[in-house]
Amino acid sequence: LTNVFFCKCCAPFCSGSLQIQFANTEDKQEFSKFPTKAGRRSLSRSISQSSTDSYSSAASYTDSSDDETSPRDKAQVNTHGSSDFCVKNIKQAEFGRREIEIAEQDMSALISLRKRAQGEKPLAGAKIVGCTHITAQTAVLIETLVALGAQCRWTACNIYSTQNEVAAALAETGVPVFAWKGESEDDFWWCIDRCVNTEGWQANMILDDGGDLTHWVYKKYPSVFKKVRGIVEESVTGVHRLYQLSKAGKLCVPAMNVNDSVTKQKFDNLYCCRESILDGLKRTTDIMFGGKQVVVCGYGEVGKGCCTALKALGAIVCITEIDPICALQACMDGFRVVKLSEVIRQMDVVITCTGTVPHAVTFITSALIITVSSKHIRTSIKYASLRSPELTWERVRSQVDHIIWPDGKRVVLLAEGRLLNLSCSTVPTFVLSITATTQALALIELFNAPEGRYKQDVYLLPKKMDEYVASLHLPNFDAHLTELSDEQAKYMGLNKNGPFKPNYYR
Amino acid sequence: MAEEKDQTGSSWDDLPLPDKYPEPHKENRVGLNGEAEEGASANPVEESTKDQSVKCSPNLLQMLKAAKSWRTAQGRDREEVSESETEETVAEARKTDMQIQFTDQKKDFNKRLTKTGRRSLSRSISQSSTDSYSSVCSDSSEDESSPRDKLQKNSKGLSDFCVKNIKQAEFGRREIEIAQQEMPALMVLRKRAGGEKPLAGAKVLGCTHITAQTAVLIETLSVLGAQCRWAACNIFSTQNAVAAALAEQGTSVFAWRGESEDDFWWCIDQCVGAEIWQPNMILDDGGDLTHWIYKKHPSLFKKLKGIVEESVTGIYRLYQLSKAGKLCVPAMNVNDSVTKQKFDNLYCCKESIVDGLKRTTDVMFGGKQVVVCGYGEVGKGCCAALKALGAVVYVTEVDPICALQACMDGFRVIKLSEVIRQVDLVITCTGNKNVVGREHLDRMKNGCIVCNMGHSSTEIELASLRTAELRWERVRPHVDHVIWPDGKRIVLLAEGRLLNLSCSTVPSLVLSITATTQALALIELYSAPEGRYKQDVYLLPKKMDEFVASLHLPTFDAHLTELSDEQAKYLGISKHGPFKPNYYRY
Repeated sequence: LTNVFFCKCCAPFCSGSLQIQFANTEDKQEFSKFPTKAGRRSLSRSISQSSTDSYSSAASYTDSSDDETSPRDKAQVNTHGSSDFCVKNIKQAEFGRREIEIAEQDMSALISLRKRAQGEKPLAGAKIVGCTHITAQTAVLIETLVALGAQCRWTACNIYSTQNEVAAALAETGVPVFAWKGESEDDFWWCIDRCVNTEGWQANMILDDGGDLTHWVYKKYPSVFKKVRGIVEESVTGVHRLYQLSKAGKLCVPAMNVNDSVTKQKFDNLYCCRESILDGLKRTTDIMFGGKQVVVCGYGEVGKGCCTALKALGAIVCITEIDPICALQACMDGFRVVKLSEVIRQMDVVITCTGTVPHAVTFITSALIITVSSKHIRTSIKYASLRSPELTWERVRSQVDHIIWPDGKRVVLLAEGRLLNLSCSTVPTFVLSITATTQALALIELFNAPEGRYKQDVYLLPKKMDEYVASLHLPNFDAHLTELSDEQAKYMGLNKNGPFKPNYYR
Repeated sequence: MAEEKDQTGSSWDDLPLPDKYPEPHKENRVGLNGEAEEGASANPVEESTKDQSVKCSPNLLQMLKAAKSWRTAQGRDREEVSESETEETVAEARKTDMQIQFTDQKKDFNKRLTKTGRRSLSRSISQSSTDSYSSVCSDSSEDESSPRDKLQKNSKGLSDFCVKNIKQAEFGRREIEIAQQEMPALMVLRKRAGGEKPLAGAKVLGCTHITAQTAVLIETLSVLGAQCRWAACNIFSTQNAVAAALAEQGTSVFAWRGESEDDFWWCIDQCVGAEIWQPNMILDDGGDLTHWIYKKHPSLFKKLKGIVEESVTGIYRLYQLSKAGKLCVPAMNVNDSVTKQKFDNLYCCKESIVDGLKRTTDVMFGGKQVVVCGYGEVGKGCCAALKALGAVVYVTEVDPICALQACMDGFRVIKLSEVIRQVDLVITCTGNKNVVGREHLDRMKNGCIVCNMGHSSTEIELASLRTAELRWERVRPHVDHVIWPDGKRIVLLAEGRLLNLSCSTVPSLVLSITATTQALALIELYSAPEGRYKQDVYLLPKKMDEFVASLHLPTFDAHLTELSDEQAKYLGISKHGPFKPNYYRY
């Protein structure tokens, strides 16, 4: 499973909009090509963290080995007599429903959105075709969209991530879902095609994660775009593709970049990593942090989160950084800013969250090496240099390798240099809830925007929506937001209901 | 590496120059110029993204009943502000629309200065430039005659200045030397750029607080090749000895502590000295100098290459000019640079809240229940400092995003009225008015401390406390007891004015950040090629911001990692920065 989820938007360098360089040029080259049989890699392009359900505690009840026939060949009918879907086994619907109900508990924001907007049906008439990970959390999103008046057709954006029972439960309620765990590449495109291409139904909204659906529609059904009111894109890759389209002048509908909303970015990077660094390290190594010397490479959002968490546990933390502003922030927060080579001999733990190519690991004596954030697999740690004949590799448990030098020195490498937070810890439902709520609001905004507000371009989510996402989550903390009085609002020159900060507020 | 480490400790003379930072006035052109960057960088998306953030319609669907935009609702100022809605950003340095709310200052903007008393002269409210509680004081009582009537000469025979007493120069020189120790960044800048004189030919007209720190800035500008004439932006803040030392050194300074309003404008006019000297740069704090030139010597504007403005008020005035189409030179807004903002608000307040409270009340924080109104930069700083001392901290907030941040940082978000009965300390930092009203004050418990860390002195509803039934008792400077008829006492600090300005000092590191930013902004504006800056208000380019930060890193013995060529290529950024896009949220 973990082979698929190796990438993640790198926090320090992409928190505004896209500033990401696909330096490996793998993605770049692939971009404008029509997907060919380039193997599975091209299918696992979705790299948005919070949508990646990599280590879910709710693993499928039923493993996929129970039935060898492809779902494509099976004719299935749900209890309403509809057969416009394709899932592994419609009979698992009941299990899936339970999963969805559990997820609903943790996604109170979407539930309250349902309640608040149900009377108005802000999405009445919307025909949404979606391509995301199909998990219980997504199901809550889909059912919310339906409750708000939309018709949905859904497919998976990743061939491994689908929860079969959830897909069955969705199909049972009448949402045409085309997805199962372990699709082949051919299946993957077949599902997308089935999702888009149906008699008597034409999509007018697209919710995409990774850009595959948009790409397919753009190549195969350009006429659909005439009816589409907007695209909501979640992943860094997909947004990057949209910007390329936009730049080439080929984007003919407005698109909304939800990846870079303030709330989502903070949760994906700062808050999520603050917790997952400890979780991941504990799960894999059972290390005790007090008094350990730790060097964190990079002091962007991810780095800030890691440092706070480690400092709180009594670790001695120092930082390496290239950006003087971030370095100064680290100084003021009480962390020593050093170069890696200065301290590497005495460190117990090395954590990289820079998104960049690393220092030669050969300096390291006996330390844990952990990658928390990187754009691409293994680039943060000079992985290839470790695969030399004089070094012995020993796998001590899953995700933990000992690399043994000829002189007996051991270095513990976690997750083979892949992202620790994706490989060895879970993504909290709360973070997924932020993402899903943001997506729902982006859809509502695009669908309800008056003609002409959005041109054929890529937009960020309006500040007001961002604030609304945050406010929907406040009840989880029993937080009581203060309301401006009329007098105060006038004094501040604000509307009482927001937006409270200008777009460029940091 | 070890060698470098040793050096940094000794003094600024030996500071290793950060070689990796190229001369700002030469190098940043590549980094900053939009076209050049587009060609060079592997980052084709950035440019278009820059626009997106502006294009984003803040409009909302009916469901949310939202405001049309941030600006339209600006109550008192609707007609002017709404025009700006259509503004788009351009070029490399972002223009900003004003987002600051003005209260008192707004009214006297367009008016010619009238005899409104001293308030209009002490308009400069930029925090780090306000030297309100300086440990360095020069008393002015020694001589009652006005400096205007005295003819003074410095040791070189020059008399083109006007200070209290030129004989104090030696004291002032010592002050300046102390300040130099605390402002290593400017000293490094001198050393780095001194050979090249990036400001050669610049004639800088300045109007700022005249303190030892400013003197270091002025002398740095001189070392960089500029000629300077200086006046004070505040009638009370001048350190006479420092002004004398500057005059002695040959800088034409017109300032003394305790000027009258008439003196103030006389000094500015003398400073402009229209007949003998044509300024080509302006460094202003509060906008008075700009205003004077605009009104009295409009012809001077033709020669100007740019204005650098530091204070919130001054920037607001520049935006108004710009909006009216009357700004005919480029202006640089240094107040909103990332580094300066972080230091003025977050870091400075984090320290001064504790300092100010300790100085005034000697309160012990452990276990105290504290409510902090507002969780912006200032609020975040206050909360972090108080939590670290073991206080139980509550937050009130109106913005859901900031409220969610407070939740995730482990603070309870409540409404003020819910906890007002039980808290020991109320701190306001919202920038709003009447956050703590009489109804709250009435319900506070005995001995509750109330103070203001925010933007203006309106946050606590003071008028409501000036009633007959309440007795005021001044217990020490800046500390008042307000006594209710039933004997309940509330401790009000600094009469509701800013605690951090009234009751604590501004660390010189913060002043150093400000001064370095100003110097770099002057260099940038002066050496920018024709056409890079139009007649508008700009933010300091990111590259310069990063340079300011990097100049201060040696203070912390911080060793910045350098990108290898391979890494720089991978990230698609230059090895020397800028490292982050303009919209990056630090």
